[in-house]
Amino acid sequence: MNFSHFIFRRTLMVIPLLVGVVFLTFMLVRVGGLDPVGLLAGPTATAEEFKMIREELGLDQPLWKQFVIYAQNVIRGDLGESWLSNRPVLDDIMARSLISLELLFWGIGIGTLIGVPMGLRAAFRPNGRFDQTTRILSLLGFSIPTYWLGLVMLFVFFYLLRWAPPGMGRISLMISPPDFITGSYLIDSLLTADWRAAHSALAHLILPVICLAIVSAAPIIKQTRAIALEVIASDSVRYARACGLQTRTVRSIVFKNSATPIITFVGTEITGLVGTMSLIEYVFAWGGLGQYGLNAIVRGDFTAVQGYVLTLALFSVLVFLVVDIIIAIIEPRVDLS
Amino acid sequence: MNLLSVQDLQTHFIFRDIDHQLREAKALNKVNLTLNSGQVLGIVGETGAGKSLTAQSICGLLRPPAKIVGGSVTFQGRELLTLSEDEINTIRGAEIAMVVQNPRSSLDPLTQIGAQLVRLHQTHTGGPLAGSRKKALDMMQAVGIPDPEGRFTAWPHELSGGMAQRVLIAMALINEPKLLIADEPTTGLDVTVQAQILDLLNELVARFDMGCMIITHDLGIVAHYCDQVAVMFAGEIVEQGPTREVFLTPAHPYTQQLLAATPERLQLGVKSQLGGQPPDLFNLPTGCLSQDRCTLATEKCGAPPPLIEISKGHLARCHFVKPAEKGRSKSNE
Amino acid sequence: MTGRSPSNLWTMARLGNRIRGISRLSPTATAGVIIILLFGVLALFSDMFMPHDPVSSFTDRILQPPSAQHWFGTDGNGMDVFSRVIYGAKFGFGIAIPAVIIAVLIGVPVGLIAGYRGGLLDEVLMRIFDGLRVFPSIILALAVVAATGQSLLNVVLVLGFLDSPVFARLVRSEVLALRSSIFVESAIAAGNPTWRILFLHLLPNSIQGAMAQTAVRAAWAVRISATLAFLGVGIQAPTPEWGAMIRQGAEFMVSGQWWVAIFPGIALILLVFGLNLFGDGIQDILDPRRRVSK
Repeated sequence: MNFSHFIFRRTLMVIPLLVGVVFLTFMLVRVGGLDPVGLLAGPTATAEEFKMIREELGLDQPLWKQFVIYAQNVIRGDLGESWLSNRPVLDDIMARSLISLELLFWGIGIGTLIGVPMGLRAAFRPNGRFDQTTRILSLLGFSIPTYWLGLVMLFVFFYLLRWAPPGMGRISLMISPPDFITGSYLIDSLLTADWRAAHSALAHLILPVICLAIVSAAPIIKQTRAIALEVIASDSVRYARACGLQTRTVRSIVFKNSATPIITFVGTEITGLVGTMSLIEYVFAWGGLGQYGLNAIVRGDFTAVQGYVLTLALFSVLVFLVVDIIIAIIEPRVDLS
Repeated sequence: MNLLSVQDLQTHFIFRDIDHQLREAKALNKVNLTLNSGQVLGIVGETGAGKSLTAQSICGLLRPPAKIVGGSVTFQGRELLTLSEDEINTIRGAEIAMVVQNPRSSLDPLTQIGAQLVRLHQTHTGGPLAGSRKKALDMMQAVGIPDPEGRFTAWPHELSGGMAQRVLIAMALINEPKLLIADEPTTGLDVTVQAQILDLLNELVARFDMGCMIITHDLGIVAHYCDQVAVMFAGEIVEQGPTREVFLTPAHPYTQQLLAATPERLQLGVKSQLGGQPPDLFNLPTGCLSQDRCTLATEKCGAPPPLIEISKGHLARCHFVKPAEKGRSKSNE
Repeated sequence: MTGRSPSNLWTMARLGNRIRGISRLSPTATAGVIIILLFGVLALFSDMFMPHDPVSSFTDRILQPPSAQHWFGTDGNGMDVFSRVIYGAKFGFGIAIPAVIIAVLIGVPVGLIAGYRGGLLDEVLMRIFDGLRVFPSIILALAVVAATGQSLLNVVLVLGFLDSPVFARLVRSEVLALRSSIFVESAIAAGNPTWRILFLHLLPNSIQGAMAQTAVRAAWAVRISATLAFLGVGIQAPTPEWGAMIRQGAEFMVSGQWWVAIFPGIALILLVFGLNLFGDGIQDILDPRRRVSK
């Protein structure tokens, strides 16, 4: 009762941010000085046609009115039509979102599972050998371009070793994908007991997931270490040591007290990782939202770009909201009222 | 045998500066202390005099760059400074318990009060959980927490400062320690709550026959609650003895200044009231450490001052102090 | 106590001491500086190191593996990969340095004014920054460059502009802490004009954190600009820019001609790594807590 109330009010608080996001997305194309009329009308259009299209798109209206129209369309779920696919942008995005989520889920999941324990271990022995090594490794992880890492992996595991399938899509062309249940080929084929499809889906998933995991683990290691070091220096951990609690117990106190800031950090990291994911999709021809969006940017399909950028931003806002709710659940200090 | 005996304890801060030069701040300079069961010892001094550092050194709670470079600490005849981390962990919180300042931020924020007490009792005393639970409730009762059953599941952030300090005292006493170290136990509490907490501490020390060390900058607390007092200055104990004697007949010029600076509330004020600055710990003067701010200082203060026994148990470290009975023979004139 | 002498004269010996001290204090920063200087030399004097013209093709030597003549092989146009990798350093610095300067020149004054003035202006700016934060930086940079016109100049401007909130935030939080401090209040009471308080009193005391970030932000700029080039946005092949070279080599990775994309990638990693090492090391030096001797 109290809690659902909290979630409701927390959701309401997101609205100003959403308005800002829609506005920035709207401005993204408007400030560009790119004339969508020119793109639509083509080079042979007459002045009369120009004017017509301009009126049709509402471009003769003042800027704020254009924004209101755009915002109304967004709320109605009308993101315009992509001139690359000639389909409504919303349909394109819906069809591809789950495909990207699968990659993102495994990549960040594994990155967090690697990064958090490594960061904690480094913090328990600061300046030790493990700490020094992970520090260099995580800085290296910061510095490797994702797309290059993907290419190198394809070269090594596909071309040289022949272990991995070519970086084209999510499942072998020879195998029919499983029935749609969750959208993840791996999970769906496991659920339908289609072992051949599961094997192929897994084989296609491994390399991009490793790439994303490496790139996401680097900042998580660094930040977890910093957070844990701060907690270790806090009054409560110093007092726990003064009470003679065993090292194991003290470490579990450190871990519990680091959890909230770590979760917050991973939440904010997801925003950036969605961009990284797009590049990985591009290299592995994953066919998800990221590849769609990058193609739209490269080829100048601005309606699709707008929809893509808006979707990513909305996703981030959603992640922030979920993070807030998770923290409200695990933190006794959060005041729900 | 003394309950606690500290001999020539030296703790330094050792680190490298931006020029990679090794720098050493001599924070504790040969501290000597003894404490017996049933005694309450007050340690007073300005900020930075090394009061808390003494307590942390005794309990092995120093963190780099602080490091013990000499001396010994024996507790019930057992040397503490050579113990491993695991060994000292069986003593900390069990036989030597600490009450710290900032009680609200010192409790584990993500564990309920009762669970913290039970965890501490389980760590050191063990036994069935139900026994620990009962002990925890008893202790909460003993330190005057109203409705212990109800507070058992309270979170630390739900407590007031005074209530949190009572919880800390309950935690300190739950394993029936022999020695209690209270480091500024009332800093940050309301004045009325301060008195309650100190009365409680005093009563419990008597009841459990513990030795107790109270670290404070408040001379009033020392006057009211301590049998013995040690005055610290620049990492050194300049005067120690029975509280009454030290307060009535202060021997060391610094103690005299200190007492003179607190005419009404006996509350130690800002440094400037005393005039001068404490010495640079990186670059201690040879001889008497307080010579730069002492009105009596002469050339002979450049030599290390002797520790002089003024009367039984009342000691001061100064060239100008005269032993009360034996005349001038000991002052090396 | 050799570190402290009453005289403030800086003799060469003391300077040497400090350099040696810093290098031992933070080996990572030193390694970073060495890498950055190395690339700096390559960028400034690339003519001396390049055995061939980076953009002239040897039409008879297309996609040749590394050899004595072409250390890093040749690419699909028959251009010498080694020379192109060296020339690429010019783009790394040429984009990162002006981009960071622009970010500082926009971000620092904005942070100063927002922190000092507070009120509605501050509120609005912070909301905009919050809004910008939910967009992935790579995608935002890509989309804005694509929308505003694909030129090298635009890449620099967009990167600088998008990165300015980082500096604005840092300076603003420092200014907020300093605003009510005694030295600022007395400067106001003494009748100093606002610009004087901002730039003479607040700026020097609030800029340290922002300056410590410049190396890391430069690393970001190098990385993002290469990403743009990899996608063919802003910088086009056959410009000898590392990202663009990786783009050219991408198709050959699955057919075995690895050298076209691998070498520019390694160069890119090294420079970004050097900047990150340096940036991380600076924090070591500024944070005395990390300066404990064993």
